[in-house]
Amino acid sequence: MTLIGLVDFAQALIDGVLFGTTYALIGIGFTLIFGVMHKINLSYAAASIGAAYLSLLVVQSVPAPIVYIASALFGGVIGALIYFICFRFLPLNAPLATLMSTVGMLLLVEELIVHATAGMPQNFPAMFTEANFELGPFFIRGDLLFVFALGCVTMVLLTLVLKKTKLGLATRAVAQQPVAAQLCGMSVNTTNASTFVIAGLIGGTAGAMVGAAIGVLSPLLTLPFTVKGLIVTVIGGLGSIPGAIVAGLIVGGVENIFQYLRGVSERDIYVMLMLFVFLVFRPSGLFAPAGGRD
Amino acid sequence: MNQYTRPLSLVLGLAALAAASLSAAQEKTFKIYGLGAKSGVVRIFGLNSEAAMKAAAAEINKSGGVTLGDGSKAKLVIEYLDDRCSPEEGINALRRIASQPDAVVAVGPTCSNVAEPVFGILQKKVGDAGDSGLQFPIYTDVAAKGGLASISQWAFRNVPSEATMYKSLFEWLKTTNADVKTVWGGVEKDFAHSNATFNVMKDNAGKAGFEVLGQSEWLLADTSFSTQVREMKRANADMVVISAHPFTTCGVLKEMQRQSVKPKLLVGLTSSSSMETLNGCAQQAEGIIIPTSFAPVTPEAKHASDALQAMNASMDLHNAGAWENIFTLKTLIEKQKIMGRPDTVQEDRQKMREGLANLKETQGLLGKVGRTNDREAIKPFLFVHAKSAKWEVAYTPNK
Repeated sequence: MTLIGLVDFAQALIDGVLFGTTYALIGIGFTLIFGVMHKINLSYAAASIGAAYLSLLVVQSVPAPIVYIASALFGGVIGALIYFICFRFLPLNAPLATLMSTVGMLLLVEELIVHATAGMPQNFPAMFTEANFELGPFFIRGDLLFVFALGCVTMVLLTLVLKKTKLGLATRAVAQQPVAAQLCGMSVNTTNASTFVIAGLIGGTAGAMVGAAIGVLSPLLTLPFTVKGLIVTVIGGLGSIPGAIVAGLIVGGVENIFQYLRGVSERDIYVMLMLFVFLVFRPSGLFAPAGGRD
Repeated sequence: MNQYTRPLSLVLGLAALAAASLSAAQEKTFKIYGLGAKSGVVRIFGLNSEAAMKAAAAEINKSGGVTLGDGSKAKLVIEYLDDRCSPEEGINALRRIASQPDAVVAVGPTCSNVAEPVFGILQKKVGDAGDSGLQFPIYTDVAAKGGLASISQWAFRNVPSEATMYKSLFEWLKTTNADVKTVWGGVEKDFAHSNATFNVMKDNAGKAGFEVLGQSEWLLADTSFSTQVREMKRANADMVVISAHPFTTCGVLKEMQRQSVKPKLLVGLTSSSSMETLNGCAQQAEGIIIPTSFAPVTPEAKHASDALQAMNASMDLHNAGAWENIFTLKTLIEKQKIMGRPDTVQEDRQKMREGLANLKETQGLLGKVGRTNDREAIKPFLFVHAKSAKWEVAYTPNK
């Protein structure tokens, strides 16, 4: 490999890892819901993108940061709605029921976006467009560094909420022993709903960050981000928040490296191979959390 | 007095209403079917096509409708089926249309990946008793991939020839931009139309005397274009040619801005000369040149564009074909003496096919549209460029 080739390789890795921060944010939401309810919410990424779309309602009248906050809030509302529609009244001991209801919700959200926008891509306010850094031959995007920092802050905040608050205590209790938690006076339904709202807030933020990083929103985003979110959740360890962040960066990096080395048409083959390698050799992922719900 | 006039006027009003309903019930209609994507991510194609067909039908109905073979007048009615831009659903839609006793012709589909298999279920050669394919005429308005009508003698298209348009565009660019010598391409690899048109672009750029240095590739749903744009930057070509649909075109243009890639010329895919691109990235698309077969530059085109705007739709190169098709079909219904009755439906389909096959020229919104022996159109075209979030005419060839 020539020097230019090496520089390009390293740059592809940097770009991939940085873009992986968006996968990490989506992965955190997936893993949070799984960690608490041991259920996969397949509509999560679509709802996150949906929240970003809803924030376009205020895009003309407020500055970009408020649009991102609006997206987070819409995400929280959508999260609560999804809980009530897809989980609250379905038998939680029948995993397929909730899985299929969230598949239905994924398709519904996608179709709602398509109907509302006629499938047209929508300009989304980017952030820090000028804040790019050149370190020697390398180019680093400031906006993606911000997304990375946001992912880390989210992780810290979530950890604090889970460890230091009553809600966190209830969440952990429900995650580990729902029956015992109920016997102690904790409401499983309220705790689960709160988890969905928190995951929705993170999802709305993730949707806004994805939109800001690409600069455009499209219904085409929902499926790839669902797939990436799931891969990140599995590789990071189902239920592990630090795992989701690390796995997001790994998936982004691997994806871009193979795109550089093997081209765009082969890229996804290697990402899927990596998933299979993890499923076979380390099915619990990189950071499997200890214990879980009975 | 008042106590008598009120009930009387009520009775008279009801009688008038009943008479109007009766006359409406007796009003003859002739249905033209359409099929295209009305849901899914390219839903806008179907919505715009349906709107153009309905607006054209309304125009015709306003001036009395269409004269059928028995001399009676009928109002045109449009029924548009959704194929989601999916080959399976496109085939289902066409089979459903062909099974209707009032279906003589259909306009559509909107996607090339649907048109290809849909044309494939039609009888290939007219009169071939050994071929059990559907004997149903289709007059396509949007699906743009080159040469599709050759699949069946029942398939006709009124779409611009991208090969002709890009040939003319690159020749014009060569004569007007002496300092532009090299080209870098960008292609959305997994979309039939983008991929096929990219080869057309590359081929014609080379023939016009530009040196094609290479190409970057991405997929329809890709979100990160940094590696591709870096290749582009390293090539430092004078012109960048992008064959992709608006979502990834915008993604790439935004990444180009981020990495300060500023080619002297930027050329886009025909399908991107719509409001979608300007909706997604007007600022970054500034200056992009695209050949198109529609712009509101003639009185007819302006009128059609206004008629669509009144229906909350917009006219572009795709649905301009749908508008034109309805007027052409109206002429053919009258010329071929189509009866529009259930007992004559197969005969009507045959007559409609013959009428379409015998067309030498039709009236388009930008002027006369020639017809080729392989059932394709030779449409007038022009070059537009994005300027201040609007498409403006950059040049009209053969003017």
